[in-house]
Amino acid sequence: MIRFEQVSKTYKNGTPALVNISLDIEKGEFVFLVGASGSGKTTFLRLLLREESPDSGRILEAGRDIGDLPKWRVPYLRRNIGCVFQDFRLLPNKTVFENVAFALEVIGRPRSTVESQVPQILELVGLTDKSSNLPGELSGGEQQRVAVARAFVNRPLILLADEPTGNLDPANSEIIMSLLERINRTGTTVVMATHDKGLVDRMRRRVVELDRGEMIRDQVRGVYGIDEPAMGH
Amino acid sequence: MRVYLRYAIKETISNLWRNRMMTIAAVLTVAVSLSLVGAALLLKQSAAQASAQWQQGTRVTVWMEPTASKAEISTIQGQLANLPIVKSCVYYTQSQDYQEALQLLPRSESSVLSVTDVPSSFRCVPTVPQNAFVVESQFSNQPGVYSVTAPEQQIRQMNRAIRVLQIVFLALAGVLLLSATVLILNTIRMAIFSRRREVSVMKLVGATNWFIRIPYITEGFIQGLLGSVVAIIAVTALKIWYPLHNEFQLNARSLIGTSTVVLVVGVLIGSVGSAIAIRRFLDV
Ligand SMILES: Nc1ncnc2c1ncn2[C@@H]1O[C@H](COP(=O)(O)OP(=O)(O)OP(=O)(O)O)[C@@H](O)[C@H]1O
Ligand SMILES: [Mg+2]
Repeated sequence: MIRFEQVSKTYKNGTPALVNISLDIEKGEFVFLVGASGSGKTTFLRLLLREESPDSGRILEAGRDIGDLPKWRVPYLRRNIGCVFQDFRLLPNKTVFENVAFALEVIGRPRSTVESQVPQILELVGLTDKSSNLPGELSGGEQQRVAVARAFVNRPLILLADEPTGNLDPANSEIIMSLLERINRTGTTVVMATHDKGLVDRMRRRVVELDRGEMIRDQVRGVYGIDEPAMGH
Repeated sequence: MRVYLRYAIKETISNLWRNRMMTIAAVLTVAVSLSLVGAALLLKQSAAQASAQWQQGTRVTVWMEPTASKAEISTIQGQLANLPIVKSCVYYTQSQDYQEALQLLPRSESSVLSVTDVPSSFRCVPTVPQNAFVVESQFSNQPGVYSVTAPEQQIRQMNRAIRVLQIVFLALAGVLLLSATVLILNTIRMAIFSRRREVSVMKLVGATNWFIRIPYITEGFIQGLLGSVVAIIAVTALKIWYPLHNEFQLNARSLIGTSTVVLVVGVLIGSVGSAIAIRRFLDV
């Protein structure tokens, strides 16, 4: 589903963010992206959205080289990718329902689709009774569930999550995590950048670790930090 | 498509409403500058029309000395009658010219006039207006002729004055149109700025660039359109109440032509303003 071929990215100010990354992610996989702050996790996700382009190497999504994609096709690429961020990125003056519906409306989905899909997805994230609340009236965990609903309402092939539990307490992190798992079980490929050690260690999924832009580990059923016990307390 | 139309209309109206103060400023500036453009165009058309009207009936008047003898008068009359470039001539006797002078001159001046002070005259229509000058040069020095007058010069003077006025109007309009464009650009920029969250979410979920842009383009378009509609109303009012109206006799056709120009310029300004704003501030 996702393939990096010797991808390197250096930002304009000279910071190397990714160095010669090669990696394959199969359809339906769940991958944790870990590494210290500044190691290149967000850059990795931004390349998948084509918010940035690599300096060298190729990135393939669903068999297509996204570097070949003309600029006007990029929105269509993004319709197949859902995104969740640490800071939720909801629209504060739209209700929960409207926030989720917005994602469908702006890609031209008819009203009937909006009216059938949105309640369904709100049911999935357990927010049916909050659908006419504004984001400001929700807890952080609930807001992130709305964000997950918005990311998934269009049934994308890929779901990218950049520290989705970064602002949440353990209980809410757990809820978000299990939501992402459920979404993954429907066949959606999930890539999640995270600093949440407990979560990664408990889930035992594939772990890709970056360090100053280099991939230093790619482990099936991995843990957060493999050499941490030796270095830690 | 229907979904999009609804979205675009909703979005445009709410943007206009949100920035209504800026919108009003932009619309008024467009209106004022386009009124000037419209007035300049109308002036040009009315001047052209007026001179055509005047020239059609251009008359050259041969004024005889009040003391001219009957023989001198009939000589001139005969010469005028035989001149092929003169279409027709009417002789006004001294008493006829005296009556006319009584009407034209203020009482203080006409009261000291007597019939014998007033020259008799030939009022002639040349075949083409330029021939007025031929008559003038041929007859001014004939015995018994006091002077020959042709209105050509007045028309030229009037045309020159109108042209200057027109240039002033257009220059002013140019400056104002520029500021109108900047004002529209600025309202669109504010609209984009107040919507940056929405725009970033739209980009994220895969809205196409045109989907994101169109509400802002229509916003500028509508501002330009509203401005030109106000200007057209102003120009029409000007046409109706302008004191020269009767004399200039502007017809509906020139008004429609002017309105079309005003409309096109207004819409163009709105679109250009928003296009620049989108290129510079809407990163899609
Ligand atoms: N837009 C940018 N312009 C210039 N440099 C950038 C930009 N974004 C990131 N960087 C740099 O690239 C490197 C990788 O950043 P990135 O955001 O990918 O790290 P990260 O792993 O997501 O970090 P964190 O865990 O703190 O979110 C860092 O050194 C960062 O300073
Ligand atoms: Mg990051």
